[in-house]
Amino acid sequence: MTTGRVAIAHPGAASCGSRLLERFGTRLTAVRTMNWNEVHVDAGSKDDIPELCLYLRDELKGVLGTIVCSDERRVSGAFVLRYAFGIGNGEDLFVIVTARVEQGDYASPPVFPSIALSLPAATLYEREIKDMFGLTPVGNPDTRPLTLHEHWPDDVFPLRKEFELGTKVAKVLKRDYEFLKVEGEGVSEIPVGPVHAGIIEPGHFRFSILGESIVNLETRLFYTHRGVEKLAENLKLEQVLLLSERISGDEAVANSSAYCQAVEKVAGVVPPPRALQIRAVCAELERVYNHLGTLAGLSTDVGFAFGAARLNILKERMMQLNEEVAGSRLLFGVNRLGGVGIDLPLERSRLVKGVIDTVLDDFNRVISRLRNDSSVMDRLRGTGAIGLKDVAELGLVGVAARGSGLDVDTRRDHPYGAYRSIVIDPHHDTPRHITEHEVEMAKRRGDVLARFETRVEDVVNSVNIIDEVLGNLDCEPELLVPVQMEALKPFGHALGYAESHRGQTVHWVMIGEEPDTLFRYKVRTASFANWPAIEVAVLNDIVADFPLVNKSLDLSYAGNDL
Amino acid sequence: MKKTNPRHGILGDHVETDKRVLDVARSAPSFRGDVAFVPSSGDRPLDLDLCRQVEEICAPKAIASAEVNGRFQLTLDKGRCIMCGICEEMAPALFKVQSGFARPVRRRSDLVVAQPSDKSPTGLDHSREEIGRRLSEKVTKILGRSLAIREVDAGSCNGCEVEVAALNNPIYDIERFGVHFVASPRHADVLLVTGVGSRNMESALKRTYDATPDPKVVIAVGACASTGGLFGDTYATSGGIGNIVPVDIFVPGCPPRPEALLYGLLLAVDRIR
Repeated sequence: MTTGRVAIAHPGAASCGSRLLERFGTRLTAVRTMNWNEVHVDAGSKDDIPELCLYLRDELKGVLGTIVCSDERRVSGAFVLRYAFGIGNGEDLFVIVTARVEQGDYASPPVFPSIALSLPAATLYEREIKDMFGLTPVGNPDTRPLTLHEHWPDDVFPLRKEFELGTKVAKVLKRDYEFLKVEGEGVSEIPVGPVHAGIIEPGHFRFSILGESIVNLETRLFYTHRGVEKLAENLKLEQVLLLSERISGDEAVANSSAYCQAVEKVAGVVPPPRALQIRAVCAELERVYNHLGTLAGLSTDVGFAFGAARLNILKERMMQLNEEVAGSRLLFGVNRLGGVGIDLPLERSRLVKGVIDTVLDDFNRVISRLRNDSSVMDRLRGTGAIGLKDVAELGLVGVAARGSGLDVDTRRDHPYGAYRSIVIDPHHDTPRHITEHEVEMAKRRGDVLARFETRVEDVVNSVNIIDEVLGNLDCEPELLVPVQMEALKPFGHALGYAESHRGQTVHWVMIGEEPDTLFRYKVRTASFANWPAIEVAVLNDIVADFPLVNKSLDLSYAGNDL
Repeated sequence: MKKTNPRHGILGDHVETDKRVLDVARSAPSFRGDVAFVPSSGDRPLDLDLCRQVEEICAPKAIASAEVNGRFQLTLDKGRCIMCGICEEMAPALFKVQSGFARPVRRRSDLVVAQPSDKSPTGLDHSREEIGRRLSEKVTKILGRSLAIREVDAGSCNGCEVEVAALNNPIYDIERFGVHFVASPRHADVLLVTGVGSRNMESALKRTYDATPDPKVVIAVGACASTGGLFGDTYATSGGIGNIVPVDIFVPGCPPRPEALLYGLLLAVDRIR
C-alpha cells in the first residue's frame, strides 16, 4: 500500500492563485497551494480582509465555509484569522484568506474588521471569536456574547493559550441577555426553553407575536457548550477522534470522517480504498436513520401518529443494523485515523443490503401514504418558507439549502474519500438530466414540504449509494494505513469536510508542537451554518407551526454549541 | 408488468409483532455495551508498562492504576467509560468488551471495579420485554399509577437523546409498561438527566430540579451525566450532574442502550418507595 500522496497539481489552483495575485498584487504577501485543493492567500494587512472576502464571494463564487481564529502569539507573535471559502461548481477548491491580528495592549485591544454587514453568514463566527479569543470585530452591529453566557466575565477567553482547560471561572453577575424588543400595540413575547417539552436538546427561543403570527424570533443557544475545541488541544490525536464522534452524537460518522480526513491530509496518508468505501457506507447508513427519524418527527408534529409510528419502526431497524455493523447503535467507532475500525465481510454486507432494501420498500409505502393524506400535506405546504436569497446570504447548507433550490452537496462539490468515484444522485450525469434537475430545483419553494421531499429523495439516493458501494467493495483486505506521529509536522494544518445528513461539516486541524497533540481544532458543523435559518423561516407563520419548522430543519444544538 | 409484492410490508397487519423486529430482543454480539477485566488477568503479575500505556490512552480516564498496600492495582471506572474498546485492542489480556450493557447502579462507587475482580459484575443481557415486565409490575405495585419522567439535556452530544427517544418508538413502546414522558417537571416523578452538566445549563437544571415535586428521583444517563465522561471537568462542564443536583441512579454507557435506561428506571422506582 502506498502511503504517499500523488504529487500532481490541482488543475484550478494555480489559475485561481494568479487571479488573486493579479487583482491584489503586493497586498498579498504569499499565495500557495496545499493539501491538493487549498489555496492559501496571506493578506499583508488585516484591513484587506473585507475586500478579499467580497472578491472571493462575488467574483470567484466562493461560499464561506468557516472562519478559524487561532492564538499563535507564542509562535508567530499574533492571532491568526483564516477565512475559508469553498468553490464548488466542478472546481473543488478552497481559498483560505489568512491575516494576522496583533495582540495590542490595554490601550488598544486586538481588533479586526468585521465583514458581517456585507457577508451576513460571518456574523456568528465573529461573535464567537470575540467570546473565545477576545478579538473585537469592528463594525459587527451585534456586540452581545454568544458562546459564553451572562455569568462569564468579560476578560477571560477560553481559547487563548494561557487559559487552562480546567480553570473554574467564578461566576459574575452581569446584565441579562438583551433580546431584540419588538414593541407596538398587541405585540407580546413568548419565552421558550432552554428546557423544552419534548425529548430534545436545550436552547432558548424568544418569540415576539402579534396575535398568532410570529413577528420576530430570536434563538439563543450554546447551552450545551462543552468546550470541545479547547478539550481537543489537551487530548491525543486518537482521543480527539472519539471526541469528534461526540460533537453531535447522531452525526458521528460525518464529523469523525471530516476530522480523520484533515489529519490524514497533514500526514500525507491515503486510507485504503476499502476503508474509504466502508466510511461512505456508514455515512449513508447514518444519513438514512437520521432522515427517517426526522420524517417521523414531522409526521408527529402534524399530528399524524400512524406515519410517525411506522417511520420510527424503520429508524429502529436501521439502528439495530448499525449495531450489527459497528457495535454501536449510533455508529460510534467506525472511523480510525488512516482508515476504519470495522469491516464489512460478505455476510455482513449481505445483511446490510437485505435490511436497507426492505426498509426502502417499506419507506416508499409509508411516504406514499403521507403524500396522499391531505391533512399532512396541508400542514407541510407553504409552512416555514426560506427564500433562495436568504439561503445564499446566510450561507445555508444541506437539506435547508437544497429545499430552497440551491443545489449544494459536499459529496459532489468537494468530493472526498470514496465519493470521488460515486454518483451520489441520478441527476448529474448527462446534460439533459442536469437541465431537468435545474428546472426541478428552481421549482422548490423552501417550505417544510420541500425539505420533506428533499429528505425523502436523500433516503432513496443513500440506499442506492450503499447498494452501489457494497456491490463494488474493494477486494484488498487492508482497512488501515497507520498515521505515523513523526509524519505530522508541528503546525501542519489541513481542512477536512464531509456532508452529514444536515449538510456540510468543516473541520480544521493544526498539529501541535509536542508529538501527538493538536494546536487547534476548529469545528463548524452544518448546524452552526443553518441555525440562523430558523429565525427567517418562521416569520409570519403561526406559533403552532414552530415545532414543525424546527423539525424540518433538524438542527443539532450540540453540534452548534460544541 | 410489475408483479404485486407478496410482502405486506410495513402497512400490513400486525407490524408490531413483525418477527424481524422482535427477534432482536437482545443486543447484537458486536455491541460494545460494557468493558470488564478479563477474569484470568489476575493470575499473572501485571505488565506495568502496558498498564501505564492503557491508562494514558484511555480518553475519559476510566482506567487508573494505584499502589494499594504495596501492590499495584488497576481500577476501571464504568461511570467514565465510553465503551470505545481501545483498551481491549491494546491489552486483550486485561480488558474485555462485552455485548451486555453495563449495569446501572445506585451508588457512584459501585461503578468502579478493581482488578483482579472475580466478583466484578458482568454486563446485563436482559431483553426489553423482560425488564419492561418487571418495571411494569413494580410501577403498578408501588405507585398504583403511571411513572412520569421529565427528560433534561444538560449538555449532551444528543446521542443519549436518540436512545431516550427510542424508548418511545413502537418497538420499545415504554408506555405499555406504565411509564410516560411528561412535558413539565411539575408533573414528573423522575428526572432523566443527560449531558455533562454544562456551565450554561447549570441554573436551568437546578431550577428544573426545584420545580419537580417530592418524592423525586434523579437518573444520571450516560458517562457524561455520571462523571463528565470524555468531556471531564473543565471550564465549560461540571464533571457530572452530581455536582449540580443529587443523583439517585447512575446509568453507564455512551450512550446507554434503551434496555439500560429501562433498567435504570427499574432501580428508580424502588427509590420512590
